[in-house]
Amino acid sequence: MADPKMRILVVDDFSTMRRIVRNLLKELGFTNVDEAEDGAIALQKLQAETFEFVVTDWNMPNMDGLTLLQTIRATPALQHLPVLMVTAEAKKENIIAAAQAGASGYIVKPFTSATLSEKLNKIFEKMAAK
Amino acid sequence: MSADNDSDELEALFDSLTAAAPPLAAAAVSTAAPVAESLSAAAVVAAAVAAGTEGSFPSQDAVFDRLGKMARQLHNTLHELGYDKMLEKTMTSLPDARDRLAYVANLTEQAACRVLNATDVAQPAMTALETEAKTLRERWDRVFANQMTTAEFKKLAEDTRAYLSAGLPGHAEIVNAQLLEIMMAQDFQDLTGQVIKKIVELAQKLENNLVSALLEVVPQNKRSEEVTTLLNGPVINAEGRTDVVVNQQQVDDLLGSLGF
Repeated sequence: MADPKMRILVVDDFSTMRRIVRNLLKELGFTNVDEAEDGAIALQKLQAETFEFVVTDWNMPNMDGLTLLQTIRATPALQHLPVLMVTAEAKKENIIAAAQAGASGYIVKPFTSATLSEKLNKIFEKMAAK
Repeated sequence: MSADNDSDELEALFDSLTAAAPPLAAAAVSTAAPVAESLSAAAVVAAAVAAGTEGSFPSQDAVFDRLGKMARQLHNTLHELGYDKMLEKTMTSLPDARDRLAYVANLTEQAACRVLNATDVAQPAMTALETEAKTLRERWDRVFANQMTTAEFKKLAEDTRAYLSAGLPGHAEIVNAQLLEIMMAQDFQDLTGQVIKKIVELAQKLENNLVSALLEVVPQNKRSEEVTTLLNGPVINAEGRTDVVVNQQQVDDLLGSLGF
């Protein structure tokens, strides 16, 4: 269903988490993955190159995931980019804030490969329906 | 530096802040010999802010005045209760705790990298095993479907034997070595466990000291104000809390209930 060659940007300040998400994506068939270690670097990459999907953490230095999401939604060239948040932030107000800011999905850490797969598929379905 | 020295300088500092007169505050700070570094730094900042904003925001003077009085009150109370010595002792153990936490962060990161490296090595080995087994099975299926010539069958028998004697044990050895590596990478748990236990004890002591000190000086109506921020990190103890979710299902339910 989703294009396996789809370019995905994984944003997390911990390299181990980036590796885990990258490996899980690989298991799901997505091998065209790039990484950024905070929102600011992610934004630079998103503006310089073409990505079709963003998976981002929330709590990061320089620019956090929510600000990244808000900036993406406020940038005409990027506003339709799907953004999946994968974060340890588990307060209800966080989830609501992310949804209101236009997050395409919200996964709380720790998470399983099945959850990631399910959320990705759900987002792809919504994208296809549009 | 002696504790008495500290007290004198702190007194001077608090007096200068309470006076809310920027030039005086600056003077008091500059004459103070190296007190606890953070304290003098804080005073410089406070004095600078007071000096810089004076005139443009005269109402802020009242805030600084109040802060100064609160600091004075806290200082006096701590002194009277004998908490100042206790706090001083606790504060000196904080840099040690910081080093210990850095050690924990370091070890856990190393462990995570070791495990990820191991899976990076093991996965291709398993994939190769799987692919080879699948190819052999397809060929054996043809044998059972009577679709194979004698020559082909002979080759299949040889390939199967090679797989069982070289491919399979070779790859299994690689995977087993990596499983062992993953097991050994867990050795951080013992070390970090001990270090974390020490830090928990320290935090508990510090908390007890600070809480009892704060309870003496914080007015009743200022207590139990919840800090609201969106950057809290993982929920350590969700028991009895209604403001957090504990699993993905609850995230989905919440988003669903909001129509997302």
